[in-house]
Amino acid sequence: MRRRTLPALLTALLLAAACRGGQSGPQRRTLVDSRDRYDPRSLDPALSTDVPTGRAVAYLFDGLTRFTADARVEPGLATHWDVSADGRVYTFRLRQGVRFHDGRPFHAAQVVASFQRVLDPAVHGGRGEPLYPIAGARAYAAGKTRTIAGIQIVDDSTVRITLDAALSIFPKLLAMPVASIVPDSAGQEFGQHPIGTGPWKLVEWKHDDYVLYARNESYFGGPPQVDSLMTRIIPEPSTAVAEFESGNVDLLYIPESETRNWERTDEKKGMLESAPALRLWYVGLNTTRGPLRDARVRRAINHAVDAGTILRQLIAGRGTLAAGVIPPSLEGFDGGRRPYAYDAAAARRLLTEAGFPNGIDIELWHSTDPTFARVGQAIQSYLAAANIRAKIVQRDAASAREAARKGQADLILKDWWADYPDAESFLSPLLTTSSFGPGGNISFYSNALVDSLVARSHGEQDQKTRATLYRQADSLAFADAPMLYLFFYNELDAVQPWVKGFHVPAIFNGQRMTGVSISRR
Amino acid sequence: MLPFLARRILLAIPTLAGVLVVTFLLLYVAPGDPVMEMVGERADSATIARLRGELHLDEPLGRQFAFYAGGVLRGDLGRSYITNRPIAQDIRERFPKTLQLAAAAMLLASLTGITLGVLAARRPGGWVDRLSLGFAYLGVSFPVYWVGIILIFVFAVVLRWLPASGYGKPQYLILPAVALGSRSIAFLARMTRSAMLEVLGADYVRTARAKGVGERVVLLRHALRNALIPVITVLGLDFGYYLTGSILTETVFGWPGLGRYVVNAISRRDLPAIQGAILFMSVVFVLVNLLTDLAYAASDPRVAYD
Repeated sequence: MRRRTLPALLTALLLAAACRGGQSGPQRRTLVDSRDRYDPRSLDPALSTDVPTGRAVAYLFDGLTRFTADARVEPGLATHWDVSADGRVYTFRLRQGVRFHDGRPFHAAQVVASFQRVLDPAVHGGRGEPLYPIAGARAYAAGKTRTIAGIQIVDDSTVRITLDAALSIFPKLLAMPVASIVPDSAGQEFGQHPIGTGPWKLVEWKHDDYVLYARNESYFGGPPQVDSLMTRIIPEPSTAVAEFESGNVDLLYIPESETRNWERTDEKKGMLESAPALRLWYVGLNTTRGPLRDARVRRAINHAVDAGTILRQLIAGRGTLAAGVIPPSLEGFDGGRRPYAYDAAAARRLLTEAGFPNGIDIELWHSTDPTFARVGQAIQSYLAAANIRAKIVQRDAASAREAARKGQADLILKDWWADYPDAESFLSPLLTTSSFGPGGNISFYSNALVDSLVARSHGEQDQKTRATLYRQADSLAFADAPMLYLFFYNELDAVQPWVKGFHVPAIFNGQRMTGVSISRR
Repeated sequence: MLPFLARRILLAIPTLAGVLVVTFLLLYVAPGDPVMEMVGERADSATIARLRGELHLDEPLGRQFAFYAGGVLRGDLGRSYITNRPIAQDIRERFPKTLQLAAAAMLLASLTGITLGVLAARRPGGWVDRLSLGFAYLGVSFPVYWVGIILIFVFAVVLRWLPASGYGKPQYLILPAVALGSRSIAFLARMTRSAMLEVLGADYVRTARAKGVGERVVLLRHALRNALIPVITVLGLDFGYYLTGSILTETVFGWPGLGRYVVNAISRRDLPAIQGAILFMSVVFVLVNLLTDLAYAASDPRVAYD
C-alpha cells in the first residue's frame, strides 16, 4: 500500500524539482552504487546465494573463470583450459605472479583448498552445488572422504579436475561466486575480513549501511579506474532516488513503477542504461494438482492471460514476452516460436475439452512484493474472464516459497534468475525431474524426453548441437505448458552523467566496476 | 526503594522466560523454512537434510528449545543462520544506533511537546493553543513514513542542507529524529495541555496565585511538576517503542538500527537472530518501564514504593 502511493508522490515532487538545472560533477573520487536494497549476507564466497553477496564477492575475488557484463565466459585465475575428448577431464593453466590482497602468492594448492572449504561440512556452507559435478565432491561434502578425488595438482600452475560425467558448461559453473579462490587459512570470520585476488580490497563494512572498497593497485587485470567503490545499502527505493537526485550516489536501480517517470523527460531519459537480464517471470503451474494435471487446462491458462498488456502496463514494457524458458540472448533461444496467443474463447474451449465446461477453482499464490501483487491481481482477473476462478493467496516470500517447494500451491507467481549465462540454468532447474521442489522445479513437471535432452546436452561439447538440444527440450515443455509463460525482464539503472564506462550487466556478477570512471568537470 | 527494585527485577524473570517460550513456539508454527532460506533458490535435498541435522532442526520441539534456552542461559545467543555472525555482536553493533536515534527523537519530542503544551494551557483557545492543536493533528495524522519522505525531499533534495540517508556525523541524525519524534511531539503537547489545565484549576494553584507567586513559578513549579505524571507515562512508553527499533524510520532513512535487523531476520527466517533480538528488546522494554516507574517517584512525592 505505502509503496504504491509514496514513490509516485515523491517522483512527482522530484519532477517539480528537476527544473533546478544540471548538476556538476562530484568532488569525490569514490564511485557510489545504490542498487542493493539489503546487506550482503557475508563476504565469504562459501555463503554466497543472493545478489548483493554475489556482487561483493565478484569485487573481492576471482574464480578460475569469470563473466563479462554481456555474460560471456572469459579466463580469470586460469589463463586457459583444455577438455579431454570424453569431456570429463578439465586441465586449467593458472595465471602466474598473482598475489592476494595481503601479498601472499596465488598457487594451485589454493584452488583445491578453496573448493574443499566450500564443500566442507564443518564450514556450514552447504551451497556447494556448482562444485558437485567434480568426482568425489558429494562424498566429501557428506563427510565420507578426507579429500576430493577429482581434483589433482599437476604442478604449481596446473590443476586437473575430473568430473563424474561430462559437463560442457563446467567452466561457467566455476565463474559463480561460490567457486571463488580464497587464500589458505580462511577462518570462521573470513566473511568479515575477506582477502581475495580481486580488483577491489575491503576497507570497511558497516552493516546495513555501506561496504567500502579500495582499488587493488596490483590487480592482475590492471587496477580499476576510480580510487574507491562504495556500495550503499538503501532499503527504501524513494530514498535511493533522493540520494541520486542530490548527486550523492552514482548508480540507481529503477523500480518498474517509476520507469515511466524517468522516461518522461529527456534529461532523465539520457541517464538510463538498460540491458536484458537473464531473468524469467512466470507462474508455476503445479502439474500434480487437480485439473492442472491436464495439459489442456495449463494451455488454457496460457491463452487466458494477456501477458503483453501486463508487461506494458505493469512492468512499463521492460521485457520481452516469453515463448519458452530460454531468454533471447542465450544459445538455444528459438525466435520462431510464438508465445501463446491471448484468446479467452480458446481458453474456455480447451477447458471444456478437458471436461471442465463450468470452469475450475484454483489458488494463485504470490509474495507480498508490490509489483508481484499487482501482476497477480491482473492475472486473476484475466483468468476469471476464461472461467478460471483463482483465489489469491498472498504470503511473505519465505512462506510462499516453502509452499511452492512442498507442492502446496496450485499456481505461484515467481521469477527465476540465471546463476550462469546458459540455457541450462533455466532448463535444468525449472523443467527436469531431478529438480523437483527445492531444486527449482515447482511445477513438478516431469517429461522423460525433456530430461534426456537436457542430460544429453550436458555431455555435448559442440555448441551448435547443444543449442539444438536446448531448443528441443524448451519446445517440448512449452507445448506441455508447465507454467504460465510471462516475460524476460529488462534491467534498468540510472547512471549519473559524470560516470563513464558503466554497462548494466546481464548477469549479476558480470560488472566488476574496473572500467568505470568518474569524469570531473 | 530497594525492595521495590528487587521485586520488579525478580518479576521481570518470568516475563522474559515467557517471551522466550512464546517467541520460540510462534516461530516454530510460522510457515517458512529457515533451511530453505539458507540454501537459496537452487538446492538439493541432501544438503537440506544435512543442514537441518546440523542445526538440530530435525529434533523434537522440547529438545530444540532446551538446546536454545541452554545457550541463552550461558549468555550465548548463537550465530545467525544466514550470515554466520554471532547474534550478540550484531545486536551490540546496532543497538547504540537505535539508542542514539531514540534518545534524539525523545529529547526533541519532550522539549517541543511539553513546551507547546504548557504554552497552550496558559491561554486555552488562544493562538498558541490553536496552533499547537493544528500541529498535533498533523503530527498524529501523517504517517512517519510520509513525513520522512517529505523531510528528505525538502532538506536533502531541494535545500541540500542535510543528508538524505545513512549513518555518521550528527547531521545524519536530524531528519530521522524529527520524523520519528513528530508523533510524540503531537501526543505530548496534547497530553501536557490537558494535564496542565486540570492542575491549573486546582485549589493550590489558586492559593499560590493568591499569595502573589509569579506566573512563571506557578506554571513551572506548581502546575507542570504535578501535571507531569501522565506525560512521563507517554514518554516512557514511546521511548520503549523507539528503543526496540523504529522500523519505518530506519527503513526510510537507511538507518542501520535494530528495527531493520529484526525485519531482515524475520523475512529470511533467521531463527536465532529473531529470537535473540526479541529477547534483547524485551529486556530493554522491561528496563524502560522500570525507569518510568522510578521517574514517577522523582516527579511526585506522593508516589511511594514500599
